[in-house]
Amino acid sequence: MNEHIVRSYEDELNTLAAECARMGGLCEAQVADAVNAVVKRNQELASSVVARDDKLDEAERDIERKTIRLIALRQPVADDLRRAVAAMKVANNLERCGDLAKNIAKRTLVIIESDPLTPLTRSIERMGRLVLGRLSSVLDAYTRADLERAMAVWSQDDEVDEHYNSLFRELLTYMMGDPRTITACAHMLFVAKNLERIGDHATNIAEIIRYQITGEEAFTARPKTDALQV
Amino acid sequence: MLESPPRRFAPLSLLEPSSMTTPSQSSSLYAALVDALPDPILVVTGSDRSDLSGRRFILANAAARELLRISVDEGLLLSAVRDPEVLAAVDRALFEGADAEGVYETSGAQTRSLRVRARPLGPNSGAGAAGVALALVTFHDETEVRRVEKTRVDFLANASHELRTPLASLSGFIETLRGHARDDPAAREKFLGIMQAQADRMARLIADLTSLSRIELDEHVAPKGVVDLALVVGEVVEAAAPLGRQRGLKLYWCAEAASQVLVRGERDQIVQVVQNLLENAMKYSPDGETVRLDLASGLTDVAAAAGPEGAPRLSLVAPDSSSQTYAVLRVTDQGPGIARQNLPRLSERFYRVDGQKSGERSGTGLGLAIVKHIVNRHRGGLTVASAEGAGSTFTAYFPMSEPGDVAKAS
Repeated sequence: MNEHIVRSYEDELNTLAAECARMGGLCEAQVADAVNAVVKRNQELASSVVARDDKLDEAERDIERKTIRLIALRQPVADDLRRAVAAMKVANNLERCGDLAKNIAKRTLVIIESDPLTPLTRSIERMGRLVLGRLSSVLDAYTRADLERAMAVWSQDDEVDEHYNSLFRELLTYMMGDPRTITACAHMLFVAKNLERIGDHATNIAEIIRYQITGEEAFTARPKTDALQV
Repeated sequence: MLESPPRRFAPLSLLEPSSMTTPSQSSSLYAALVDALPDPILVVTGSDRSDLSGRRFILANAAARELLRISVDEGLLLSAVRDPEVLAAVDRALFEGADAEGVYETSGAQTRSLRVRARPLGPNSGAGAAGVALALVTFHDETEVRRVEKTRVDFLANASHELRTPLASLSGFIETLRGHARDDPAAREKFLGIMQAQADRMARLIADLTSLSRIELDEHVAPKGVVDLALVVGEVVEAAAPLGRQRGLKLYWCAEAASQVLVRGERDQIVQVVQNLLENAMKYSPDGETVRLDLASGLTDVAAAAGPEGAPRLSLVAPDSSSQTYAVLRVTDQGPGIARQNLPRLSERFYRVDGQKSGERSGTGLGLAIVKHIVNRHRGGLTVASAEGAGSTFTAYFPMSEPGDVAKAS
């Protein structure tokens, strides 16, 4: 990319990307902590995830403000414009991920009150690690403007869906086996669903990266297994 | 990489005046030295707390580039690290001039957990607006420590769980026998049978735990005796035959010309290895299938560790020295097989492949852990090759005895 003659313009664009990266780091930590809280039944950790969500909201507002300001004052065109718009959209998706992580943490506080569901939490842990891996590699792709890595994340969404489907079945068996577990299992089901949606946001970010780098936006349908066929 | 070679290193070059005299030579030596350090190291600069894109790393050694998956040794700090804890530690070192610590966890297939230390560097540290501050960030891998801790916690949880299940069933039946079933001889007989089975299960578990702890105590004492592996396998197969016949299993035992295969080892423990491997193979075989045992001798460690073609293979224990020749026992079953991702955890205590409940099979979950420790004590190796739906092959190999050993043993 050619350097801008006005040095501070380039700095502003770089700062936007850096702020997105920092927000991504916060978001990763939120998701990781939320999953850890469910798995380890850690009340304190869950509460701290809930409390920290404000930071992400604040970061999103901040990035949005800065982007609008940059567009208004510098009137960027072509890839500069795409970089600015992408930053705003990435921040948007990250904020949604943060909300989902917060929701997981809130549900954890309820789940902790019933007996542990050991084999289930193991499945949740695996799914959480998988989703977190996707989020990390898409953010790596964003900070490095690496189209190939972004596309790798984009094309591997069905793995998360498979995990979700098998967890769904596992939960059903549990609930049928022992009605006392229904409350915890229902919350677990939402935890799994939230993780799955965090995975979808990672896919969205991959699409945004592609838009930022190539300027193409329309996408053909992604490989997808039907989550409702159980 | 740094603009001027650090002063305080000068005395070292004075020690070797002939080879290192020019500053450029010594600075390239230090650059190579930093690059070769095993722990990841970053040097970070920053001038203003509010300027995010002003925070850059100006040095990343090879280990850091690998850890953070970056290809350059200079760039935006946020393009290399996003972790909030690490960033906070760096800020503290840069702008407050204080040491700070944090934990950094990598994501992906192998999660690693590292302790991060950030420390101000050079005269400008903590100066804030006065100039460019430098900070040194080091990472130290603590994955192993955490893994050991986790294993210990898991072990306690599992051991108590495995003991609690039969115990709960025992006390339940005792209650019933005192209550409703007091005057019902038929029910009493049936319950006593179940109680006996549960008590046996607990006894088996405790026996396995005891033998595991004994084997661990002796793990670094090399066994002295000489054992004929062919004879041992023959005996174990013979003993297992009645059980196999009950379920219509065919035990196919193929000894190499029925000759002696002498290995260095303790007889009881070798018997236990063969027994556990054969029991596992039979347990997971559907009725009417074949379990196959092969024995070969005089192989190198590479040939010994090789498994059947095609299936994913993993070494659970591998011996250190390679000049030995080994006797190899392969136990192959036609069972459901094991998925690739479960292979590495097989020899963990109480580990069961998902969806498999402890009650279903009669095992204690310690069999392979015992095999692993015995094989390790015998300086041998253990590999597993398996794929879902294609059966499993477990290979145990032991160092062959040399002529001198027999004399020593007798």
